Amino acid sequence: MTALVAVYGVLSHLMFTEQLTGGAYAAAYWYGTSLQVLFAIVIISVGLMIGWHQHVGKQWTLLGIGVACYAVGDIIWTVLDLHLGIEPYPSAADVFYTLEYVFFLAALVLAIRSYSGITKVRTPVYVGLLVSGVAAAVLYFVLLRPYIFAAGVAELGLWGFVMSTLYPLGDVFFMLGPAVALTLIIGQLGAGKLAWPWWLVVAGALVFSLADSMYSYADWSGAGSSALMEMGWMTANLLFALAALVARDVYRVR
Amino acid sequence: MRATRNATGRRIEGTVSALSQHVVSILSPYVGEMAADTCVRATALSLGKTTDDLTVDDLPALESNVRRLLGPLAPTNVIDQLLQDIERGLR
Repeated sequence: MTALVAVYGVLSHLMFTEQLTGGAYAAAYWYGTSLQVLFAIVIISVGLMIGWHQHVGKQWTLLGIGVACYAVGDIIWTVLDLHLGIEPYPSAADVFYTLEYVFFLAALVLAIRSYSGITKVRTPVYVGLLVSGVAAAVLYFVLLRPYIFAAGVAELGLWGFVMSTLYPLGDVFFMLGPAVALTLIIGQLGAGKLAWPWWLVVAGALVFSLADSMYSYADWSGAGSSALMEMGWMTANLLFALAALVARDVYRVR
Repeated sequence: MRATRNATGRRIEGTVSALSQHVVSILSPYVGEMAADTCVRATALSLGKTTDDLTVDDLPALESNVRRLLGPLAPTNVIDQLLQDIERGLR
């Protein structure tokens, strides 16, 4: 999977530098979208193999459904942008993109709660909320107030305004904060192997929230996106898929 | 008092504290030493004992606690394996 993503990295660079045209561009576009589908299949498969009736099975399946929602969003985006020539933002794709937050949060809340019997979870949760609050304040001054709120509903339309506000805030409250809380919790497990997959999930969440926030800022400030930035979402969901595979290995008994 | 063996099968002293050490040594690779210790302490506390006072007779309570505390963290096959490893070391 990592090699497949590396190939997409090269293709993404070629797409951004306009070295791919016509059929090659469309193929590269769909290749990237297909990778998101692959990640979702991998994670959901691991979750279902563990079993929905098991706590950890639920956690991985929910994470997989979140990535599947993102993949559906990507498919809609690709069709609108590549084949119908319609501006894909805002669109139905955003509904599915934001659903990843919902399922990711659900998975992490279950994961965090699962540690409540053996480690302290209250303080890490408060720290996670604090980090989310501080990050939201930074976003307010750097992105929301100068660009999005300034444009307002009049310029963006209601749907565009809601989505433009929801993405950066969703990143900090549904991805960054829970990831920080989980980091502090699993950090207490030392080298315990049950925590290994969750370290990758945390890394994925940090990459996702960073990529999303940087994209929003680059888009609104006029700096423009880049191939590297586009790779952020791909890398994040790759890390979630790798985490699921590590979990499968960790849960395998002798 | 029965002697116990640690995770590698090495015979360890048959003191009462050896049981808790043995359990911690089995659980630690999965949940870390602190959480493993918490499992043992929670059992001892529920029985009104200290970890040093735990004996093989307390094994059912210990296993029940391990299942309860690790149940949300790991699939049942992993927990079953850990409990088998604990029991195997006590034979």
